Amino acid sequence: MTITEIVLRLHANSYYFFAIILFIIGFHTMLTHNNLIKKVIGMNIMDMAIFLFFVAIGYVRGGRSPILEPGVNHTFINPLPSALILTGIVVAVSVTAYALSLIVKLYKHYGTIDAEEIMRIRGGGSL
Amino acid sequence: MQLLGSFLPVWIVMFPMVMTVVIYYVEQRSEKMRNALAVATSVVTFLSVLALYPGVMAGNIIEFELFQILPNLAVSFRVDILSFSLALLSSFIWMLVAIYSIDYMCKEHGCNRYYPVLIITLASCMGIFMAGDLFTLFVFFELMSLISYVLVVHEETIEALRAGYKYLIMTIIGGLALFFGIIITFELGGSVSLSNPVPLISEPSNLAFFAFISFLIGFGMKAGMFPLHVWLPDAHPVAPSPASALLSGIMLKTGAYGLLRVIFHVYGIEFMQATGWTIIIAVVAVITILLGSAVAITQENLKRRLAYSSVGQMGYILLGISILNERALMGNIFHIFSHAFMKSTLFLAAGAIILKTGKKNIRDLGGIGRQMPFTMFAFTLAALSMIGIPPFNGFLSKWTLSLGAMDAGVPFYVLILLISSLLNGLYYLPIIIAAFFGEEQGEGHKHELIKINEAPYKMLIPIAILAVSCLLFGLLPSNLPFDLSRVAAEYLLRGGF
Amino acid sequence: MNFSQHLPALIVVVPLFFAFLMPLLARWRKQWCVPVTLGAIIFSFLAALKMVFQVMSTGPFSYYMGDWPPPWGIELSIDYLAVFAALTVTGVGLLIIWYGSKDLLHELKSEVIGWYYTLYLLLIASMVGIVITNDIFNMFVFLEICAIASCGIISIKESRDCIEAAFKYLVLSVLGSGAFLLAAAMLYMVTGHLNFTFMAEALPEAMALYPNNLLVALGLLIVGLGVKAALFPLHVWLPDAHSSAPSPSSAVLSGLVIKVYAVAMIRLLYLVFPRELLGLAPVMDMILGMSTLAIIIGSMFAIVQDDIKKMLAYSSIAQIGYVFLGVGLMSESALVGGILHIFNHAMMKSMLFLAAGAFIYGTGARKLSELKGVGHTMPIPTIAFCIGAFAMVGIPITSGFISKWYLALGALDVGRPFFTAVILISSLLNGIYYLPIVVNAFFSKTEEVVPEPEKLPKQMLVPLALLSFGVILFGVYPSLILGIVYRAAQLLLGL
Repeated sequence: MTITEIVLRLHANSYYFFAIILFIIGFHTMLTHNNLIKKVIGMNIMDMAIFLFFVAIGYVRGGRSPILEPGVNHTFINPLPSALILTGIVVAVSVTAYALSLIVKLYKHYGTIDAEEIMRIRGGGSL
Repeated sequence: MQLLGSFLPVWIVMFPMVMTVVIYYVEQRSEKMRNALAVATSVVTFLSVLALYPGVMAGNIIEFELFQILPNLAVSFRVDILSFSLALLSSFIWMLVAIYSIDYMCKEHGCNRYYPVLIITLASCMGIFMAGDLFTLFVFFELMSLISYVLVVHEETIEALRAGYKYLIMTIIGGLALFFGIIITFELGGSVSLSNPVPLISEPSNLAFFAFISFLIGFGMKAGMFPLHVWLPDAHPVAPSPASALLSGIMLKTGAYGLLRVIFHVYGIEFMQATGWTIIIAVVAVITILLGSAVAITQENLKRRLAYSSVGQMGYILLGISILNERALMGNIFHIFSHAFMKSTLFLAAGAIILKTGKKNIRDLGGIGRQMPFTMFAFTLAALSMIGIPPFNGFLSKWTLSLGAMDAGVPFYVLILLISSLLNGLYYLPIIIAAFFGEEQGEGHKHELIKINEAPYKMLIPIAILAVSCLLFGLLPSNLPFDLSRVAAEYLLRGGF
Repeated sequence: MNFSQHLPALIVVVPLFFAFLMPLLARWRKQWCVPVTLGAIIFSFLAALKMVFQVMSTGPFSYYMGDWPPPWGIELSIDYLAVFAALTVTGVGLLIIWYGSKDLLHELKSEVIGWYYTLYLLLIASMVGIVITNDIFNMFVFLEICAIASCGIISIKESRDCIEAAFKYLVLSVLGSGAFLLAAAMLYMVTGHLNFTFMAEALPEAMALYPNNLLVALGLLIVGLGVKAALFPLHVWLPDAHSSAPSPSSAVLSGLVIKVYAVAMIRLLYLVFPRELLGLAPVMDMILGMSTLAIIIGSMFAIVQDDIKKMLAYSSIAQIGYVFLGVGLMSESALVGGILHIFNHAMMKSMLFLAAGAFIYGTGARKLSELKGVGHTMPIPTIAFCIGAFAMVGIPITSGFISKWYLALGALDVGRPFFTAVILISSLLNGIYYLPIVVNAFFSKTEEVVPEPEKLPKQMLVPLALLSFGVILFGVYPSLILGIVYRAAQLLLGL
């Protein structure tokens, strides 16, 4: 496929493309940064990327928000993904809260929130 | 009477198991009761096995299926002439060992553990011999191997624990190999029952060969086959002597029994002769014979020497299995009998020596024959029988095996038998000579009157019975073990049915 | 009767309800916490039992939440596998929390014990929910509840190791859930359905149009559920998490939690994805490869461990490999073996962890070298450990033997005796690290005077005894449970 074809394809699926890029950014942050807070941020970015992907699935070109008005006939965007993602966002928030509380406790124990420092203090094992 | 007859195998296996629990509770209160119960259990078991004699000799096969555990896989019992012979032998020797143990173990610690384990090992051996399918055999085989671990580490010294660990690992390896063989048999044959009218595996294939090798590894490991014998010289000496007698005398034979059953019921004699896989057994057996006998010469510890001797003797039995004709099988089964008698005598006598004098090494045994004449006389009888001197039963079994080898047209085996007899002589005669004609080692009691410090009579009687049996069963032309061996061999070659 | 019609929903709702009630009870009536928890789980267990009988007599059935039929509503599909897993989860979960009612008093600070029961009830509810649901997003929600609850019961102990282990578990678990959600999104994209049955019908056409999409979804699902189920090489969170947690948590995590993810994967692989897709990419071979590595390497790591709970944790990695081996081989016997092993390992591993917990409770000793001679002072946990060890090695008359038999037979059925050999080698490796503990406990002469251990309360001894009895019972009479497992395997394979 020629470059123009690829670019056109990507433009057509731009939402998915950006969602995947965000996912990779979040994943990368989670894995490579040592600061625990940054890991949690990466986790959030990753989750948001997935939510973006899911919501983008529901988009219908030329559709309007899915609120029914009596007597009016329109194409609506798919409401189901948005509803699902509400649940997903709540889950992501609670997981973030839990992870942050764990980090607070870790800080109390070790005095640092750097994963490598913690590994060094612990003397082996992996984080 | 019919129903009783077919329930008897289950009774023979279950009764000792139940009595184990009873003994465990009784022994908290009274030692004498415990000893009496243990002996009584073994006597009752022996008599029950004896009760099977008329039915079995008439040619009946007693079968009994207990329950089905999985589809096509049942726990069943089956008593034919071969099972009966081995069960009779085991229960007889167990009875004698139980009587012997009373005095031997009275000074040892952990008797409370020893007696129940002794009886439950009896139950599992009975279960092995009377198993009606490979699965039951496997269950009782594993049970026996794991429980006898307790007997091996009884002393709880460092060597005992180390020997026990080696024994345990090899038992697990052997058990897994058996599992592999059994599951391939189940896959290829659809069932693992020994009562199948035709052999279970009929076509030679790679899978069938794997199964054969696995069975060989599994049962051979128990029988002390080279190169899986390495647990034997460590485990048999560290166990208490009555347990050593049982380990060497009976439990090794379960491996040979399993191998016989596999060859005749799973593969069938025509298959074996057509594929010629038994040559593997023959090669390994020859190596085992020579290795066991040769290394025995170098051993200093009496019981270790006897253990290596067991390795060599089991090689005879394996050799007999590989030569698939009537006289070889007859010699084979008769040697199972005679070796059980001989080796038990030797180990029990060695135990008597250790109990009375604490001497374990051969060079300390000078002059023992004058201190303990009866014991050493029994030892001599058994040793001469081992070497293969007529008219003892050892000679009879070697003679029959040689005839079988000649029948099969392999006189090379006769040569091996002769060489090993020579090696046997090389390691037994010095003990006897030193015992009777040697100087007593130790505190220089050179010219004092040597008092007779004989073993207690409860230990002497079993030793005497066993030693006399060695003589009797070799001397009398038609005696029970010989007859049983002959009938069993004919029966196996007829197709085992 | 109206009540029993709604059992599928109630089996999840009742523990959930009492989970939310528990903090109130903990504050006002502390002594009611344990009976209420036990009561809720007993209710779920009885409901699962009733559903077992119903399914065995009349066949699988579905339940629509709120009476909204699919594809609009959430459907709960009660089939053989679902009800089998639900029975396992509630039954073993009941015994574990009964044990925990006394053990936790030693391990946790007293003000958080009420919260533990909350988390535990949430965990049980979510696990049952994962196995009975027929809707992929519903499964995602329960997956997340399960993840948070399982991290919670680790971190509640608040020691250094626990918090670290829980954090690592949480991060990797969220990664897994994220992958799962992305896979769900991809499947929704091409089929337009969230319900498994409807997706399964729509997928063959979708496969013709978008094969790459489905392959990516499959890969994401395997990675996502694999991380949570601790399939090698995605197992890295397990040893720390399971060994530092309080004993009842370790038992429920090792025995039950990682299994429900395997059940979820079984449902997805066999009931949703079309068979041809599994032929396009060597998915099953990959699963077989990973499970073989899990079995061998898990056992090898376990051999070198000194801490008893870490050893048991590595052993769990190996055992989950068995389940996936059964999944990957795709023959009836192998699938029976894998599914049966879910049940057997739940019982065996819980028993082993509870026995280890009893050792720690009584003597405070966690290292294997400190456990010498414990067989004489604490006979019942040692005998339970002994039975568990024999079951792990696969000695006949224990239930471990039965699942091994089926797995080995299954490997031979598809003509791959290599995996039979793998199973046997792993039995040997299991023996190498379990049996020395048993030997040490009974047979070594202790030179030091072993301090008299604390007496174990009845609540800790009875579950141990029941579990050991169960292991032997299902080893001698496996037909009790095999009926349902056979039907589950046949349904999954489409026979």
